Parts: sequence; structure tokens; C-alpha cells
Amino acid sequence: MKKVEKHDIEIMAPAGSYESLMAAIKGGANSVYFGIEQLNMRAKSSNNFTIEDLRKIAEICNENGLKSYITLNTILYDHDMNLMRSVVDAAKDSGISAIIAADHSVMNYARKIGFPIHISTQANISNIETVEFYSAYADVMVMARELSLMQVADITREIKKREITGPSGELVRVEVFAHGALCMAVSGKCYLSLHSDFSSANRGACVQNCRREYTVKDEQGNELKIDNEYIMSAADLCTIDFMDKVVEAGVSVFKIEGRGRAADYVYTTTKCYRDAGDAILVGTYGQEKFEDWKADLEKVYNRGFWDGYYLGRKMGEWSDAHGSKATTRKIFLGRGVKYFNNIQVGEFAMETHSLDKGDEIMITGPTTGIVKLTVGEMRVDNSVVDQVKKGDNFSLKLDETIRPSDKLYKIVSA
Amino acid sequence: MFKITHYRDKCIGCNACVEVAPDRWRISKKDGKCTLVGAKEKKGIYHVDLPEHEMEENIQAANNCPVKIILINGRKP
Repeated sequence: MKKVEKHDIEIMAPAGSYESLMAAIKGGANSVYFGIEQLNMRAKSSNNFTIEDLRKIAEICNENGLKSYITLNTILYDHDMNLMRSVVDAAKDSGISAIIAADHSVMNYARKIGFPIHISTQANISNIETVEFYSAYADVMVMARELSLMQVADITREIKKREITGPSGELVRVEVFAHGALCMAVSGKCYLSLHSDFSSANRGACVQNCRREYTVKDEQGNELKIDNEYIMSAADLCTIDFMDKVVEAGVSVFKIEGRGRAADYVYTTTKCYRDAGDAILVGTYGQEKFEDWKADLEKVYNRGFWDGYYLGRKMGEWSDAHGSKATTRKIFLGRGVKYFNNIQVGEFAMETHSLDKGDEIMITGPTTGIVKLTVGEMRVDNSVVDQVKKGDNFSLKLDETIRPSDKLYKIVSA
Repeated sequence: MFKITHYRDKCIGCNACVEVAPDRWRISKKDGKCTLVGAKEKKGIYHVDLPEHEMEENIQAANNCPVKIILINGRKP
């Protein structure tokens, strides 16, 4: 395997909110992607940012040395053109790094105004000729999620051989999905939701029909016995235990799916892939680390894991549960009150449940991002206590600043 | 008479309401969201009272809305 350089492994994290953006930074992401307004694939399910947020997002990313990518990758109609142009203009003016596009109108306009483009997985790039076609527009291209690693490797080899460069003059970089939810349709091109609920997945309004339980009956009403009623719910993609092979296939950008997910998911997934990427760089990547990473990944939202299509080993691995199979869950306890910088103590208000010394807690907020720790000494009215309850204001030793906008959670076994 | 309420800021501009009630719904080329023709705005929410003969197609529009932001007489149909 050739020597892997730091810039060969870019971990790209999802940011559906400021909490998730800060969590991605803490997790060690090199870049984040996010949507604004209604023209992105999470128009319905995540709290999208607005045009007014762009400058702040770019500033936060610049200060922390991250690249920022805005997704504008739904199907677009004529009536969307003005909004599309406003979004691309605003993104460029605000200092966002690039736009992730699937529709040619976006590519055409972004190229005209000289704004860098990434080709979205929604464009289903599956061969080298398509890479060559899009190289007139983009320096980074996301491959279709249905390719095997062998196919991806063929594409990256040909990019080098043919010296296919993007508008920057550099060789085209290949990005793949490394972790997160997979769709039962070809890279999201699904019409089930439109048929059942008039809610187009391709306008970011998927109602997730594939995640439901189904019964299978013949025309006479006889129900077939099936092992798993979730007949269309793909398990989540996880590449953490063969990430070296993905790097070897010439992939340099590793995208984590989940703009609709909470900050703890973003932090944990980003951190695991950052650690794995760093382990590859220093030559310590190996079997002994996989269990720890997988155990951490299982703690946050997941539908069970499989290799996706990359290794060509198993086709169609299905989840057998509705929603998450995470091994831990979080219980809301209360909110941040104040941080006493001089003594490094945070004060919290308990609004519900109780908290004991030794419990695992998580603090999330739009500026704080995410802080996880085990509860040590707690004080109520300056007296040391082992437990706090609903209605208590308590203080806790903390290295990091907390704020009134923060929420406090207890992490327990699921 | 019946009342339509439209939470316009959550519109994703899919055009589904326009397809069934084109006289009452129109996509704005300015921001790509749908506009309820003849409605008055109050705190970002749009309202209009309409004659009964427009009811059927607007119930259909409300049913079609993927983000369920169209209410008929204050309710999701």
C-alpha cells in the first residue's frame, strides 16, 4: 500500500444544527456538510439552517480549520431557479467552501460565478466516463453508494492514468459514504414516499416507507411467513473495520450520513472515523481497535451494521427493528445555568428525573456542541451530595464552559 | 364558507397543492415557496376564507401537502 498522507483522509461530518456542527468539530471532522432552506435532501426531517446562518457557519468552520459544504441536491423545477441562484450567491459571498449539487442547473450556475462544486451521490456516478464528464464542473465527486470497492478503485486508478483534473487543475478527488443510513433504492432515487403520501423523497420529504414492518400476502389473502417483517429497511453502512481498504481504493473523502441525527451521533461517529483515519496514517490500524470503535458506534443511533455494497460479500442486509438499535439512550434531565470560569464549575437546573454520582452525562448546546463525562462531586447549596433530583440546582466541576442554552442528559443502557 | 390556514415558512415548494388547486395556490418565483392566493398574513401565518365550492380541491391540496402545513378550518384533513 502506498504511503497515506494526511490530506488523503478527509472526514466529512453531517451538521443539521449548530449543536451537531460543534459536535463535528469536537469529534475531529475535517469538513462538514449542511442544508439550508428547502432545496436539500433533508428538507422535511432536519431543522435546516437559513441563508442568514451561512456567514456564521463559514466563520465557525474557518476559525476551527474546517471546510464547509452546502448541499443543494434535490430535483429542481423552474420555480426553484431564483432561490437556487440566491443560495449559491449567498454561499459564495459568505465564504462557504463548496456546494454539493446533483442538478445540472446548480452546476451550471455555480460554475458561471466561479463557486467550487462537489457532485452529490444523487448524481449516481458509477463509471469513469461520467467522472470525466463532471470534471468540467467539479473537483470532488461522491460515488454512487451501490459501487463495490473494486469498481471505486478502477475509477480512481483511471483518474490518475488519464490525469482527469477538475476546475482547480488538481486531480479529481473521490468521496464515498463511509457510515450511516442506507436507502433501499439506488442512492435515494425512490418514489415510494411519493406514491403513498405525495411526499417526494427527491424533494427531501421522504416519509421512510422502507423503515416500516410489512406483511406479505398472496391474492387469496394467505399470509406468507417471513423471518423479518422489515423487508425493505436496510441496515446501516459501517466501514470502520475495512477503512484501510477504502483508502487503498483511492478514496480521500469519507462522508458520514446523518444530517437528521443528534449531536451525540455526530460526535461519536466523527470521532471513531477520525481515530480510524489517524490510525491508518500512523500504521496502528488493526483488528484490536475494531471492537472498541464498533462498541462506541453501537451506542448511538443505528439500525445494525453491514458493509454496504463495498465488499461484494452480502447483498441486502436488513434491519430487524423499528428505529434505532443503539445500546445506550439519553434521558433529558435539565439545563445549564451558569459557568464559573475562575473555579471551573458549571451550574445546572434539574427539571426532571434524578442524577447520581458516577452516572454518565452528556451536555449539548449550539455553542457548546457536546461534552461527555462521568459525574464526580456534585454540590447543592455548597454541600456535597451523592444525588440530585428534579427542582435542584447543582454544581459540578467541569473543564469546559457550559451555557444556559445547553441541555443536560443522562446516558443509560438502552 | 371555510377557512384555509397556511404555515408558509415550512413550505418545501414541491408544487403538489398547485397541481390540484391551481386557482388558489401559486409558487412564488422569488423564494420557491407556495403562496395562498388572496390570503392575509398574521405573524407569518396566512389565512383566507373561501366559498364552499372551492373546498374539495383545497382539501385535496391539504392532503397532498408532504409537510402538512395546510389546515382546513383549523385542522389537518
